[in-house]
Amino acid sequence: MHVIVCVKQVPDTTNVRINPETNTLMREGVESIMNPYDEYALEQALKLKDKHGARVSVISMGPPQADVVLREALARGADDGVLLTDRAFAGADTLATSYAIAQAIKRINPAPDIVFFGKQAIDGDTAQVGPGVSELLNCALVTYVQALEVEGDTFTVETHMDDGTDVIEGKLPVVMTVVKEASTPRFASLSGWMAAKKAEIPRWGAADVKAVKEMIGLDGSPTKVVKIFAPPVKTGGVRMDGRGDPAAAVEAIVRALQDKGVVKS
Amino acid sequence: MSNATKITTDILCVGAGVASLSTALSLLRTLKAQGKPLPRVTIVEKGRSVGNHVLSGAVIDPEGFKGLLTEEEIAKMPIEARVSKESFHMLFNETAAMKIPWVPPMMQAHQFPVGSLTKLTQYLAQLCEKEGAEIYTSFAVTELIEDSKGRVIGARTGEKGLDHEGKPKSNYLPGEEIYAKAVVLGEGACGILTDRLIHSKGLHGCREQSYAVGIKEVIEVPADEARTGEIAHTFGYPSDWSTYGGGFIYHVSPTQVMICFAYALDYARPEKDPHLMFRQFKAHPAVAEHIKGGKSVAYGAKVIPEGGYYSVPEVVADGALIVGDGAGLVDTLRIKGVHIAMQAGVAAATTLAECWDKKDFSLAALRPYSDRLKATSGWKQLKRVKNVRAPFSTNLALGVMSAGCAWATFGMFPFWQVPMAPDHEEMLPLKGGKMPEPPQVAASPTSPDRLTDVFMSGTIHDEDQPCHLKIKDRAKCEECIKKFGAPCQRFCPAEVYRLEDGHIHVDFSNCLHCKTCQVKDPYQNIEWTFPQGGDGPRYTRM
Repeated sequence: MHVIVCVKQVPDTTNVRINPETNTLMREGVESIMNPYDEYALEQALKLKDKHGARVSVISMGPPQADVVLREALARGADDGVLLTDRAFAGADTLATSYAIAQAIKRINPAPDIVFFGKQAIDGDTAQVGPGVSELLNCALVTYVQALEVEGDTFTVETHMDDGTDVIEGKLPVVMTVVKEASTPRFASLSGWMAAKKAEIPRWGAADVKAVKEMIGLDGSPTKVVKIFAPPVKTGGVRMDGRGDPAAAVEAIVRALQDKGVVKS
Repeated sequence: MSNATKITTDILCVGAGVASLSTALSLLRTLKAQGKPLPRVTIVEKGRSVGNHVLSGAVIDPEGFKGLLTEEEIAKMPIEARVSKESFHMLFNETAAMKIPWVPPMMQAHQFPVGSLTKLTQYLAQLCEKEGAEIYTSFAVTELIEDSKGRVIGARTGEKGLDHEGKPKSNYLPGEEIYAKAVVLGEGACGILTDRLIHSKGLHGCREQSYAVGIKEVIEVPADEARTGEIAHTFGYPSDWSTYGGGFIYHVSPTQVMICFAYALDYARPEKDPHLMFRQFKAHPAVAEHIKGGKSVAYGAKVIPEGGYYSVPEVVADGALIVGDGAGLVDTLRIKGVHIAMQAGVAAATTLAECWDKKDFSLAALRPYSDRLKATSGWKQLKRVKNVRAPFSTNLALGVMSAGCAWATFGMFPFWQVPMAPDHEEMLPLKGGKMPEPPQVAASPTSPDRLTDVFMSGTIHDEDQPCHLKIKDRAKCEECIKKFGAPCQRFCPAEVYRLEDGHIHVDFSNCLHCKTCQVKDPYQNIEWTFPQGGDGPRYTRM
């Protein structure tokens, strides 16, 4: 079994601030991390390695410094990684990104058993690249996976939907996007990191994955950013301070919700 | 833990702070310049990224760069400002202040770099990695490994993925063992392993280490090019006359002011609240004008070793060297330690380079580090002000006078060793048996409350893990509540300790790893242990 996990390096948005003048992210002091949803995807892949001895490959697309997320994946147990990095990829929207990644997957293995993605990246929040790649690979897609079993060439997944859980059975190969509920990602060990730091991580450019110029970067991106704006700050609302008397604050909240008909009295 | 993964390296540095990194950088460069084979240097840091647990003013005495960084590297340092204007203020009460007409000569810092130590640390880390040092973050080194003769031969990392009862979770990761020819302890102020080693090997200085807690914010202010590089120091209010305390205000860029208040932990009144004092300090008109129209954006706290010369331990043990703040290498008068940390690193590196070359890491071969440290300019300064700190515990005026005398006589006066008791013994019982209500300070963008500040520190701990702040004996808590009114709820700058229904609740997730509780708890009933590696504050611009 060979599974491929696609990971993205994103700014850690837990403490991020927006420049009020330009509406862009203030980068100062913002660290780069592996997209948290990709950690859940990676964990599913590593479980298949534990259980079925699957080979786990990881791919990322980004600037040269993005290779640290691949090393992190190796430190946790992935077998090999490749970084797609080329100025020609810059400015890609989700379509051009999907194409570049699909091309890279074809080079790693034209017939992988499973390709994993996180459900979405926390910077763009589009949730489009996983589905885009499945289309380009002409491969089945299941999104929002929270549990996975594989037996022979059959997979069974539970998917996390708004109104409950779907159970889906199908045949490999398949592209999956994984949600947080799937499982707690494992930690990388110190010895794992030591090996990962030394690992060879090939860097592939557009030519290496036989990407056509018209399909990548800005040229391959029909999406154009016309304007960036911060949504207006919501006003109004009531602040209930529960530090003095938490019980009274809870009561007040319940009463307010009842008045609005959100919960039954 | 016999089945733990065993890793072998040559030099293991615990903590990726300035002292450790200076050691690694200088060691690798020294050997490279001599054309010698290079050792494997492994640096292990508990913060999630390098610099996350580093906090300082920081006005840096450039003496430290000598022999460590090239001119080009100094020019490229990620520190924007140089000190252009200095002033010194005495604050009498909440409104009155007097600008001292001259800056005391020992405090002068003209053209010294001023900026974020977090960023400088990250820069040093990059230089180290370029020379081949390996840095691993998010791993807490929780134990030193000794052989049967008591020689330090390595260290153990902490487990990860334990639940609140200490049972393994699905992502449990066992600790690992790293063996090395020598271990460099660069844990920073109040280092847990360092203090354990000092106690077990009897390496104490002449007197116990004493500390201050430093509380700091970065405040973004409307742009003012003209003030960049301006620094101001204050003493007096809101400290009481018998406690060493003071403030720092540094304009590190046109839009950023770093503001810090340090309060000595040998204070006597249990109701003292350093965070609240920090807010009173910021509200003082002489201080407020520096941060007018601004907004606090980052927060942190850390203890500062203040014991000086007499509190420095023996810095060499069999198999281990102690560098930086962990050894208390801070010039007590100027509250400057970054340059001594760097010099200690170079001194340690020179020694380790010799050891590596001669393949001899015996105690005798490690010993010269101690002498080399004592030959540095930083150490000489430490000696010159060796008795400056102690008189301040009695009275501010006495402190100022003796500081002047010590400076003028090159440290010869006072010629006796002025005694000081350990910080935790200095607390007096509550007056009238009741904790007084804290003074009220109005919240504002430059004066956030404590929990808002904690949020801005970025601190985070997995809450499903054993509480790392261990209360050894709950009965002592009851006694403390009666006698002192539970001072932990006031001295902790992160609101970790809460008195509710007559019990102390420990919200360890707020912890800033500052160690104030470990130092100041009057019963020494709080044991600071290591949370999961990677947890704790996430300072990025401290």
